[in-house]
Amino acid sequence: MIEAAKTIRAGEEMLAEIERRSGQDVSSCYQCGTCSSTCTATLAFDYPPHLFMRLLQLGLVERALASRTAQMCYDCMTCSSRCPVGIDVADVIETTKNIADESGRSRPPKEVALFRRLFLRNVCRHGRLHEAGLLAWYNIKSGQFFNDLSLVPLVLRKKKVHLVPPRIRQRRELRRIFRQAKTKPGAK
Amino acid sequence: MSKYAYFPGCSLASSSMEYDTSFRLVAREFGIELQELDDWNCCGASPAPHHWVEVLGVLLAARNLHIAGAGEAPLVAPCAGCYNRLKHAQYKLERNQELRRQTSEVLGEEVRYQTEVLNIVKMLNREIKPGALAERARERLAGVRLAPYYGCLLVRPAEVIGYDDPRDPKKMEPLLRATGAEVPHFALKSECCGSYMGLARKEIVLRASHRIIEAAVAAGIDALVTACPLCQQNLDLRQGQINRAFGTSFRLPVLYFSQAIGLALGASPEELGIDSLAVEPDVDRWLKGAA
Repeated sequence: MIEAAKTIRAGEEMLAEIERRSGQDVSSCYQCGTCSSTCTATLAFDYPPHLFMRLLQLGLVERALASRTAQMCYDCMTCSSRCPVGIDVADVIETTKNIADESGRSRPPKEVALFRRLFLRNVCRHGRLHEAGLLAWYNIKSGQFFNDLSLVPLVLRKKKVHLVPPRIRQRRELRRIFRQAKTKPGAK
Repeated sequence: MSKYAYFPGCSLASSSMEYDTSFRLVAREFGIELQELDDWNCCGASPAPHHWVEVLGVLLAARNLHIAGAGEAPLVAPCAGCYNRLKHAQYKLERNQELRRQTSEVLGEEVRYQTEVLNIVKMLNREIKPGALAERARERLAGVRLAPYYGCLLVRPAEVIGYDDPRDPKKMEPLLRATGAEVPHFALKSECCGSYMGLARKEIVLRASHRIIEAAVAAGIDALVTACPLCQQNLDLRQGQINRAFGTSFRLPVLYFSQAIGLALGASPEELGIDSLAVEPDVDRWLKGAA
């Protein structure tokens, strides 16, 4: 009994934290499902947005923190623009993800994490994104050697690809930015 | 003569060069001076805030705001993604003193972040009167059905962007109508194309973009018009992948806003980089139809 009470209490506290940081009132969601009907990412989610909100309402915050929904939402904010109550659903999901990240409760699927990491490494190195380099590294590192290879003749024909990476002058400043961000991951 | 600092961003400097070319052409035609921002860097795009919680995205965008802040001119970012990140950084810096301090520390001086930032739609609406465009366009695109497709980052979140309606945006319409084109309502104009998941979770992009193309074709639309390089690539460059995945044979051109305006001004398809689109529209037929 006492354990159960503790769990409920912890859930309530975490929900209050999510509501405080996002500025949203989770309890005002009445489960109409509009957010889920408009969401393009449900394919990659374990809980569509309205069920994600329901988890929070029920105090099952740990499940929300560990969910693929929190990790995979790419923030198109369509749900937020459609919510009849005016809840910024995307902000609630993003805030949950931030808390999950800070406490190491969950990680994105490995391909998605890899893509984000390689993207940022690429930017850190050159100051600007080198698209051809990103595709090459992603395919090598993920072992999906043929991913988007069908696009290569097309982008070559359309001259949409630069083989030499772009470079900014102040790359040292860029590296300072990355170092600063790394040491302060929780800054909001 | 109006003057703007110009933030092309990584896409316009490489895979979406036709957006850069056509934007510069339209600016030149209307006597707008664009000064490319010196030594600009990647805005952080979506992976920065998603990977390292916010702060990296703000710092990367802030460096560009800081460079722009040294001059007087407002900053224009035609890429919807860059525009969104720059506005977002501005919004956060305005409200968070600690973030401001941290940013100033990295930059080595007090961060200048208050330069006005505009997207292409807001900027061209400010600089070009529909009447003036219509006069030069002489109904060149009459009979062509061009539907604006806004996507997400150009209009959301409303409290950060503060321009146009986040669900039912309309601000591309006056100038598009001035080209002579018919501008039908497109129900999916602010739906998501699948964002940056093209490599890591291709099925998301293919499904989301397929839905948009299918709806546009069903509505008898000749081409979609967008202001976002990522949307453009998902809908255009990946249209072959979409057709293979869904057994369809769509050939729906997806133009940049500046290309549509450029065509109305009488610029040639080559000058506007129309031949860089994966699905090329039959411009000759469009122009003949109007003649």
